[in-house]
Amino acid sequence: MPFTAHDLRYHAEQSYPLLYAYLHRHAQRFLGPLKYDAFEVDTVIGHVVEQLVRLGLFGGGANASLTALDHLSDAQFYAFLSRSVRNKAIDRLRKRRLQVSTSAELEAQNGDEIDDDPINEAVVPLWGPAPFATPEEVALRIAAQQELLNMLKHCIMELNSAPRQLAAVMQEIEDIGADALLGKMMQDLKEGLASSYPAASLQHMSQHKDHAHKKLRHCLQQQSTNLAVRVALRLTEYITFTAKDYTVEMQALVQADLSEDDVRTGLKILVLEGLLDWNGEAVIHCTAAQVKHLSRYYRDE
Amino acid sequence: MDDIKQPGGFSDRRNNYAQLASWIQQVMRQDETQATHTAHTTHTGEDGKELELLLNSDYHLRFYQQLPDFIMALLADEEQATLKYAPLLYHLAGCRECHASYLDLYDALQAAVSPVGPRPQLGQGTRTLNATPQRMLEHLCQSLISQAEALFRQERREHVANDVAARALLKLALSISARISQSMLRHRALRDLVRVANLFEGSVTEHDPDVHTYTPKLVGGARSGKKVLRRVDTPRRASGAPLEEPAIILQARSLGGTITQREQTLFLHLQDLAEELRGRHVIITVPLGALLEPVRWRGGNPRAIRSTIPVDAQGTLLTPLGETELQLSDSEEHNLLEAMFMLLEVRATD
Repeated sequence: MPFTAHDLRYHAEQSYPLLYAYLHRHAQRFLGPLKYDAFEVDTVIGHVVEQLVRLGLFGGGANASLTALDHLSDAQFYAFLSRSVRNKAIDRLRKRRLQVSTSAELEAQNGDEIDDDPINEAVVPLWGPAPFATPEEVALRIAAQQELLNMLKHCIMELNSAPRQLAAVMQEIEDIGADALLGKMMQDLKEGLASSYPAASLQHMSQHKDHAHKKLRHCLQQQSTNLAVRVALRLTEYITFTAKDYTVEMQALVQADLSEDDVRTGLKILVLEGLLDWNGEAVIHCTAAQVKHLSRYYRDE
Repeated sequence: MDDIKQPGGFSDRRNNYAQLASWIQQVMRQDETQATHTAHTTHTGEDGKELELLLNSDYHLRFYQQLPDFIMALLADEEQATLKYAPLLYHLAGCRECHASYLDLYDALQAAVSPVGPRPQLGQGTRTLNATPQRMLEHLCQSLISQAEALFRQERREHVANDVAARALLKLALSISARISQSMLRHRALRDLVRVANLFEGSVTEHDPDVHTYTPKLVGGARSGKKVLRRVDTPRRASGAPLEEPAIILQARSLGGTITQREQTLFLHLQDLAEELRGRHVIITVPLGALLEPVRWRGGNPRAIRSTIPVDAQGTLLTPLGETELQLSDSEEHNLLEAMFMLLEVRATD
């Protein structure tokens, strides 16, 4: 019986030998001239096994969340493993290329193994390069996508409780000329700060900046931040003025990409941050001032 | 989505995006101390080279485990993918290690869902762990223990309950290590086990002069895993008869001891205990004892087993530890029990 992703997750001990045998076969195939180098074969196998452990699949049982890997068909899962082996083998071949002995190279060139050498294959896959091919590309996408920038704005606002850190960050953004990209929120914050902390008078700017960066980093990587921002954005899209105030039904905020639990979590965070009054009711009520704040921060266009 | 309205020309706007992107990257770069480093948990292989763990236990577990779902959302052209995974995206802007893993996984998943050429053969066979190279079992055990530690670090950092998951990984490592017959490899496979298990127990091993710390003695090249004491100078039973049964040999600096079994009961034999312990009961701690259910510890708590009798005038102690169906005479079960006794501490009762 072939092993499956399910077997690796729930019957790790029994299926490891099968996984090892499969990876071993493919590692030898893809390592070409290095296929008889036990250390290189082990390194390739070890890499894939460790990756499966880290992803929570191998031995993760019911304790680790299911991921897309668990939903692949058996054939797809094997293709995934095979490709992972191939990629690591290429990596090892590249690293060892200069170290490979002349005799080994000659041996490979004399035989038909040269055809199997994956390093000779196209470096760029047939389907083209991956999106976000570099961290720089990721950052550029964030800077250019309003919804993603909203998270940054949200986290900058959170620095309000530490005005010196906020001022340090705003100074940085102004210095690089990106304050306009963050819109009216920056103006609001600047006005609020101007009287108490004129930029020029700030002492220990570098220290404030470091603290601010740490807070921003933490805030930006939180799923709760993301939920709050997405819910706030949706709220500003769907809220309407009725006879007395602005209202929106909570269910209107629930959609395929945001579950009811997500919406509730997001709303609770907005309440904690003082942007909203809500006690779990089915209809959310906002004052004109609250709507103005939310719109300025999350729908600044 | 990508159309922020902005005064100024196109090139100004592009320049501002680039500047902001560069600043975002600067902000998101991890502290040196928090960065994911390539693991230095290595071992020397049979040919003298080292097989390294890819990541150490301080890698970014939360983000790493989101990568497959994020990639599949990208491959499926999900409109909200970047928004849904925005925290991960921010993380990838600053973490080169996770980004490299992203590229690696993206390519492999792309190949999985958009196959080109023939499908790879399915893995089949009837292999067993015993037929798998022991060095790879060692590497697997280290990976599992390192992952358990990563779960602990995540638990502490993000206040999530990972205790059960980590214990399950440690148990799996213990169980797999029992298949490693070479004691040197087995010890290397489990070298971080006690430390990581203690992290979850909340106890920090500190040097306490009043505590005698025993560890199993390595028996070089013993492939069977059964250690039978036959030498004249080997420990003797309280009755004085030499041991001639499978045992786990313990050592603590110049002190020695053994664990033996009579039917289902495990006994601890200690010799030459310090003067101050003589005539007193002792408390025995087996930190890894809670990892294995098959042992019913005397008193119920493997961290506080009280000796049934006091240490005698010669500094000798023979006391039961607990009962188990595992048999020291079976090599794999012996290895499992030996792993559990990787650390055994003895101190006087208060």
